[in-house]
Amino acid sequence: MTSKKLNMKEKYSLLTRDLEWEYSYRDYEEIFKQESFEGIKITDWSKWEDPFRLTMDSYWKYQAEKEKKLYAIFDAFAQNNGQQNVTDARYVNAIKLFLTGVSPLEYQAYNGFAHTGRQFGGVGARVACQMQALDELRHVQTQIHAMSHYNKHFDGFQDFPHMHDRVWYLSVPKSFFDDARSAGPFEFMVAIGFSFEYVLTNLLFVPFMSGAAYNGDMATVTFGFSAQSDEARHMTLGLEIIKFLLEQHPDNVPIVQRWINKWLWRGYRVLTLVAMMMDYMLPNKVMSWQESFEVYFEEAATSLFKDLARYGIEMPDYAADAIAEKEHLSHQAWSIFYNYGHAAAFHTWMPTDQEMDWLSEKYPNTFDKYYRPRYEKWREMEEAGERFYNPTLPMLCQTCQIPMGFTDMENPTMTSYRQSVYDGERYNFCSNGCKDIFDYEPEKYVQAWLPVHQIYQGNCGGAEMEDVLGEYYRINLGTDNLDFHGSPDEARWNAWHNLQPAEDKLKKAS
Amino acid sequence: MYQVTVEPTGDVVEVEEGQTILDASLRQGVWLPFACGHGTCATCKCQLVEGEVDIGNASPFALMDMERDEGKILVCCAIPESDLVIEADIDVDPDFMGFPVEDFQATVVAIDDLSPTIKGVRFELDHPIEFQAGQYINLNMPGVEGARAFSIANKPSDASVLELHVRRVPEGAGTGYVHEQLKVGDTLLLSGPYGQFFTRKSAPEDLIFIAGGSGLSSPQSMILELLEQGDTRKITLLQGARNLSELYNRALFEQLAQEHENFTYVPALDNPLPEDQWEGFSGYVHEAAIDHFGGQFAGHKAYLCGPPPMIDAAITALMQGRLFERDIYMERFLTAADGAEGTTKSALFKKI
Repeated sequence: MTSKKLNMKEKYSLLTRDLEWEYSYRDYEEIFKQESFEGIKITDWSKWEDPFRLTMDSYWKYQAEKEKKLYAIFDAFAQNNGQQNVTDARYVNAIKLFLTGVSPLEYQAYNGFAHTGRQFGGVGARVACQMQALDELRHVQTQIHAMSHYNKHFDGFQDFPHMHDRVWYLSVPKSFFDDARSAGPFEFMVAIGFSFEYVLTNLLFVPFMSGAAYNGDMATVTFGFSAQSDEARHMTLGLEIIKFLLEQHPDNVPIVQRWINKWLWRGYRVLTLVAMMMDYMLPNKVMSWQESFEVYFEEAATSLFKDLARYGIEMPDYAADAIAEKEHLSHQAWSIFYNYGHAAAFHTWMPTDQEMDWLSEKYPNTFDKYYRPRYEKWREMEEAGERFYNPTLPMLCQTCQIPMGFTDMENPTMTSYRQSVYDGERYNFCSNGCKDIFDYEPEKYVQAWLPVHQIYQGNCGGAEMEDVLGEYYRINLGTDNLDFHGSPDEARWNAWHNLQPAEDKLKKAS
Repeated sequence: MYQVTVEPTGDVVEVEEGQTILDASLRQGVWLPFACGHGTCATCKCQLVEGEVDIGNASPFALMDMERDEGKILVCCAIPESDLVIEADIDVDPDFMGFPVEDFQATVVAIDDLSPTIKGVRFELDHPIEFQAGQYINLNMPGVEGARAFSIANKPSDASVLELHVRRVPEGAGTGYVHEQLKVGDTLLLSGPYGQFFTRKSAPEDLIFIAGGSGLSSPQSMILELLEQGDTRKITLLQGARNLSELYNRALFEQLAQEHENFTYVPALDNPLPEDQWEGFSGYVHEAAIDHFGGQFAGHKAYLCGPPPMIDAAITALMQGRLFERDIYMERFLTAADGAEGTTKSALFKKI
């Protein structure tokens, strides 16, 4: 082993770093304006270790091969009328939520990494961000293509980018990413590259992909695998940025700690949508939110923070709050959506008896005590022809923008409620995490575009519900929204499979 | 049980029936790149050079058909079906000499009681061995299943002898054999050299050695060689032991410290006995390091050798003193009992 063969590191360096040049007629600070204002101190970019070594040449080769395989499966899915072979039409609502809530985040990630990469003086970090930007663009494209097939057969898919920008619950994921993209470049990397892509990614993707697999949705499973095969780069980039920042200067440690605290909480709040998807929207369940949270967050984060402790980084205090919520989160989220089922671009419903029993079994400490009685009441109302829709608009958390429906974990029947006063105005929060984030940067979060405030201020199409939902959100009223029972989605599904309409079943049952 | 050789470093990993290559490697301290751990992300992609594997649940996107045809595997889900040679995307250190592994017949010429629990064994070899200071050999003992790894304590220029420091592991079969049955004149088979723990001679930084228990062996070899070659960088040896009787070879290092201006010796006892009348540092060896260097380690190369808890504490001390993974080298002295604990590992560090 004394050959003078170049090792991978040297080869990659010749192929990439040598593209860098000396800046002879402009100042470094002028070219990389955003590198220092966050307080991060970079003393030596040469200490950056490439998280992956992939030339553009092989990048195109690999990605082209993945696309070929992926689109062959999409074609087969379409030709075989794959939409008829999912477990039942309720499942498709999970996919509507994904397309309107998650796929646009892939596009935001593309924008974010393309912009952020430009801000770094280190060429290694620039190249890595550029590659991730391309991956993210591929992800949003393949997701749209995969789901375009469902758009031919189900309601609620048609205006996803428009909805992402306007609809009340979609402001939760949208404002999360807007927050990250309007931060400085290093905060963006800790927010998205590390906290989201490394720590939380499994908690987002594994439930959706295994949910798809368990419910006969080959197209979604396949784009999931295709996207995950790019995650290697994203996860290793997330790890490198965190190590690099912590090693460059001791003054970076408290800044990075604050960002980790903030972004793990921000990301976790967005995953509320995943929690309710897992426990309520999948006809065939994979595992409960609680189980998934324990495996993909509690265990993984424990080993990660044990290692980070060597840098002086501690587990965020809010982790304990997230753990305390794991037996409640999905039920509270689904209740919010059931309340506002008329204002959502997908269908909601009450679980069946069998599903309620599954929930009791998975959540023995909470479901029968707090949630089953409420659901039974709502089901009674539905059977009596008075399906409950909440006619008022909810107060939103100023930071995560989720309706203030979460409760105090010490006292689960009381709303968890925090307030801050800034510049003479009162602001409301769902949790300590969201309040602390606001209190540290109130100038940023007072600007939040809160859907409910905007409606009341007359900025969302008009004063009537129809103006907001129909004109401004572009929800097709009576088809995209309301309960699954009685929806055109349900009617079409029943026609394909010669099934009895749910109303008839309900009539018989009562 | 199959042997998997990892190129370009030449590390050898023993993989149990049904165990993944990655799992076995990480448990045996051989780092391979990985992230998701379940076949979907492709971070752990390696080239299969020789042998047969079951590629397991590798996703068709993480390991595409053309790559399968080329013999690529994902080690996080690949299970060996024969002895293997794989090539991983890891860097060979420029200071690694890559001396070939050979078999030796080794005859015991001396057995000394270095401390109440540690014996020093000197062998005469049937032919000279080429090795780098810090590396280890695998020793075969009659009636003991499997070879045992021991670091070489003498300097490489003493090529025909081999000095090992063997601590008695309670209920350990191999160390039990050395302590109770081995005698002068016995001949054993051994092979070597192995390992990625060696002196980075091309690195200009001053050196810190932190040793615990019989983990003095490698640092002893490395320091003896550096001083023999007239190295002028500052060299500091911190040696940890429980009490005075366990602090072996102290006289040797005190003498070296007198003869060489650039060498400093700092012994530390964490549990000195009253009769020791100890006036040196009392506390763990990593605390002695913090004390000696004022908690600031940046600008050094550190070499750690000893039991896992000592290494762990030393890494934390070094990192809090701003010395990071790229400047820390370590040899963990694992016993059969250490392998049993199955702790999940994050992907943050490569070697730590």
